[in-house]
Amino acid sequence: MLVSFNWLKDFLNLDEQDPKALGEKITRTGVEIASVTRPADGLKKLVVGHVVDCEGVEGTHLHLTHVDVGEDEPLQIVCGAPNVAAGEDVIVALHGARIAGNEKIKKGKIRGMESYGMICGLQEIGFSDSVVPKKYADGIFVFPKDADVKPGQDVYDALGMNDYILDFDITPNRADTLSMEGSAYEVGAIIDQKPKIEPVVLKEDGPDWTDSFDVKVDEKLAPKFYLRKLTGVKVDESPLWMQTRLWNAGIRPINNVVDVTNYIMLLTGQPMHAYDARAFESGKFEVRTAKDGEKLTLLNEKEVDLDPHDIVITDGEKPVMMAGVMGGLNSEVTDDTTDVILESAIFDPTMVRRAAFRHANRTEASSRYEKGVNWDATEKSINAAALLIRNEAGATVDEGIIKATDAKRGPVVVKTTVSYINKVLGTKISADEMLHIFDRLNFDAKVNGDELVVNVPNRRWDIAIPADLVEEVGRLYGYDNLKSTQPLLPETHGGYSEFETQMRRFKRIAEGQGMLEAVSYSLTSPEKAVSFTKKAKALVQVQMPLNSSRSTMRQNLMTGLVDAASYNFARKQMDLRLYEQGRVYDHEGGTFNEHEHLAALYAGQTFAENWQHENQKIDFYFVKGQLTNMFTALGINENDVIYKADEAIPGMHPTRTADIYIKDQYVGMIGMLAHSLALADKNLRGHEVYGYELDLDVIIPMLTHGMTAKPAPKFPAISRDLSILVKKEYTNQEIENVIKANAGKYLRDLKVIDVYSGAHIEPDKKSLAYNLTFLNEKDTLTDEVVTKAMDQVTAALKEDIEAKIR
Amino acid sequence: MDLFDKLKQLREQGLDEIKKASNEKKLNDVRVELIGRKGELTKILHSMKEVAPEDRREVGQKVNELRDLFNQRLGEAKDELVKALIQKRLEDEKIDVTLPGRTSALGSKHPLYLILDDLESYFIGMGYKVVQGPEIETDHYCFEMMNLPKDHPARDMQATFYIDSEDLLRTQTSGDQARVLEKHDFSQGPLKMVGPGKVYRRDDDDATHSHQFMQMEGLVVDKNITMSDLKGTLDMIAKHVFGQDRETRLRPSYFPFTEPSVEMDVSCFNCDGKGCPVCKYTGWIEVLGAGMVHPNVLENAGIDSTVYGGFAFGLGLDRFAILKYGIDDIRDFYTNDVRFLKQFRKEEN
Repeated sequence: MLVSFNWLKDFLNLDEQDPKALGEKITRTGVEIASVTRPADGLKKLVVGHVVDCEGVEGTHLHLTHVDVGEDEPLQIVCGAPNVAAGEDVIVALHGARIAGNEKIKKGKIRGMESYGMICGLQEIGFSDSVVPKKYADGIFVFPKDADVKPGQDVYDALGMNDYILDFDITPNRADTLSMEGSAYEVGAIIDQKPKIEPVVLKEDGPDWTDSFDVKVDEKLAPKFYLRKLTGVKVDESPLWMQTRLWNAGIRPINNVVDVTNYIMLLTGQPMHAYDARAFESGKFEVRTAKDGEKLTLLNEKEVDLDPHDIVITDGEKPVMMAGVMGGLNSEVTDDTTDVILESAIFDPTMVRRAAFRHANRTEASSRYEKGVNWDATEKSINAAALLIRNEAGATVDEGIIKATDAKRGPVVVKTTVSYINKVLGTKISADEMLHIFDRLNFDAKVNGDELVVNVPNRRWDIAIPADLVEEVGRLYGYDNLKSTQPLLPETHGGYSEFETQMRRFKRIAEGQGMLEAVSYSLTSPEKAVSFTKKAKALVQVQMPLNSSRSTMRQNLMTGLVDAASYNFARKQMDLRLYEQGRVYDHEGGTFNEHEHLAALYAGQTFAENWQHENQKIDFYFVKGQLTNMFTALGINENDVIYKADEAIPGMHPTRTADIYIKDQYVGMIGMLAHSLALADKNLRGHEVYGYELDLDVIIPMLTHGMTAKPAPKFPAISRDLSILVKKEYTNQEIENVIKANAGKYLRDLKVIDVYSGAHIEPDKKSLAYNLTFLNEKDTLTDEVVTKAMDQVTAALKEDIEAKIR
Repeated sequence: MDLFDKLKQLREQGLDEIKKASNEKKLNDVRVELIGRKGELTKILHSMKEVAPEDRREVGQKVNELRDLFNQRLGEAKDELVKALIQKRLEDEKIDVTLPGRTSALGSKHPLYLILDDLESYFIGMGYKVVQGPEIETDHYCFEMMNLPKDHPARDMQATFYIDSEDLLRTQTSGDQARVLEKHDFSQGPLKMVGPGKVYRRDDDDATHSHQFMQMEGLVVDKNITMSDLKGTLDMIAKHVFGQDRETRLRPSYFPFTEPSVEMDVSCFNCDGKGCPVCKYTGWIEVLGAGMVHPNVLENAGIDSTVYGGFAFGLGLDRFAILKYGIDDIRDFYTNDVRFLKQFRKEEN
């Protein structure tokens, strides 16, 4: 709500108030004031001019005019606007003037004709297109006849620009300030002044009309529904004072009937509607829900297919208005309208909100209805509107209001105690001080000992419970006046859950290994959601995604890291070590499941580029080595970790990818990105990208805390090398299994020291060399024991996997 | 030539040879030749029988003197040679210490987690538990339990990604409050928790909006918690994150789950409150929302709101990081450009 400082002065004495300082005070105490602006700011030398004469310039669209600007001689001004004419009072930018956009106006020559200024349209002096009356949208502004303006005077006062506009950026609970009267109550409470709210005295000079209409209203849809009739209306432009108040509030003036309804809405917060009475020749008026298939063309010329949940006003047959949202074109007040039906009503807030949302047609009216309106303002508003139309459009007001529904809502009585309010705020405010605060709010409050009873008027429908009163007292007492204290509580033990603590170990290790932590979006495309995933699960998809690439919750983290790799490669960042710890999501088994994962992505070189050319391309075994270190640092026994080649993980290289098992449980995968994927994404082409992904929900329960240290071995270890020749299909894992199973209890360490296949051996064979370390922690190991163990190993290798010992 | 002359000659010749020996091998040859078992001095000793008995004592003495001299000089010469050798080797091994070193990758936390981890440890120190809740949340916990029934106009403030009519991606971490409130046993002590995590809103991504971001929720409930306690707590957090010299203020606001509701502003750390583009010339920067827990939220969780009360606050980690590190585009957090991420390697944490 844009609140005019000058209009506020109708209700409050603001002589002592600086508008900007007041705005700040309101922000601190009530409603956020997003800005305080003065429309005339930045403008200069804009005066009223009277067009003395005006002639068309042949062969052009221009006019040569002479304009009285209050000086001895009229100024010659060349004007291109189609609506310039002799006798008009207009806005003139003199030589040296500043108009909108800080543009400077100078005298000059147009087509050889001297021009000593410019006749302006409203947009040219800073008005938004949305508030300029349609009549002046494509030309200059012409002061209406009633405007009390003299040539040469500044235009700012006449146009309402010498005002400060306070932008009330309200939260949904403070819709009571979406009106001048509501704002006046709020500002009055803040500056400790009672606002002057005038009652309406209306003279009804027409006949009683209340029996002339058959009005049927469903009370559930419209608990209050009032109508008035005016006749003999002369539809015309509104007086300038009303237009200025409307456009300063961001509303476009239309005519003296529609403008009055908007003006009253601004004044009291009650949305109003004016119908051309000709729309109800049937003599019927009905408020009901729309029927399937009904259509209505709204005032903005949008034809809508009505929904059975929309409330409509009908003439007994067809809809003429979408209730609470916007009128229909078929009942519009136009220039030839003479009789008007005025409506002041309260509609079901939820139904209005949904209708406005459904038809993407939120209006000033609907946004007020959905947040609530003052139940006490229905009658005052319809009378005030009738009075204004009577005064400004020469109308006769027929006697009586048709109150088709008239549900009552009494003031809410909230009972609490002074001590409760003080207890919640942590203050020692006296009962008298509290009573004074409620008096500032114009709430009727009584204290009886500690007991506090507050009658909350209907205009503050946001207040219903003691906590609401705490807020009123707190904010007007001033949050700055609250002490800063710490809760006095028994000691509590803070910390992370066991799971969180373990999760942090993974992150620390990854960072220690030189990884940069990444954070990706959880929403991705349905395809990416299940790539890099051994077993795709039921998808979690949002109903109205922003776009198809952000429609599905990821089932793996790798996809986000691959997106990051693509992004970085495109920016020539080739050495990547990224990890992400986050959740993956699925809908397996009909429940929504979230699992914590950790993924890592590697590409480029092991070291940063260096002058010694000491480098190594990152490959599968480098990444596996990093993962091995991570497992070691987590205390996972390396013998419990098994890697099994997996050809079938989507997006991964079929012959360079492995499943990872710990204690026979699948915990994740490691490998290289598939070429096909790399080829599809131009940025990924030519890069070898490796990574792994772990399911922390499976691994973390296997982890333990703490350890027992052993002394360093006191006896020397003995190490032996072993070189064998085996068929290619045997994996290292299989060979190691044989060695470990047969090397006896003293085998401490087993290392692969060479792998060879090629020209010097049979094509279907490969040669591997191992180094075995034996250690007896309790005694010196003898050669005989080790030799015996080696003999057992070689025998088993020959027997089990047809190895040749070299 | 008598023996004395011979010794004299040997002395000169020997010292000369020692001096000339250019390496350890040659020096050793000289040593063998001079004082070895078959060396010159030994020969002289063997020829003692030819010496007159009265001279023998003197010859013996001279021979010993000469042996000592040779030994001494040989030792010195050897030391010299070793020294020269080491010197040469050191020369050969000389490197340019100003050439750059080989760097391997240096890891770092993501800026959002730098902020989060710092806040978490701060709250843990004050006795708060860190609680995690589901990101796929029910309408019930995300909204209804938080005093946001269906068709509450405040739901407009949150564009929600619904999965079906009941399930959604949480728009706020507040659902964690409801879950913890339901479970907490106040006979075991007061409730103090923070709940951090990812949240989602149906906003198109641009410099200031992100459909995914991170929040942290805080909740303290017991019998005697006041709004002054809230003010003191928020004041401490703001100063911890943005600097001890910052001023703070509370403004009225509205959240369905708190009453009264406030927002906290911190005096602008860019201009120190004078007014600049960072604070939009107000001198203040909004950093978080908070309030006293709405009685309905307590009652919804089965807690007697006439006995228990407390405060809650919610802060945006992205916003904190944006303000603390002077970041001007929220999307920088989610594109994972390594040039952006690498900057945070030096952030203390």
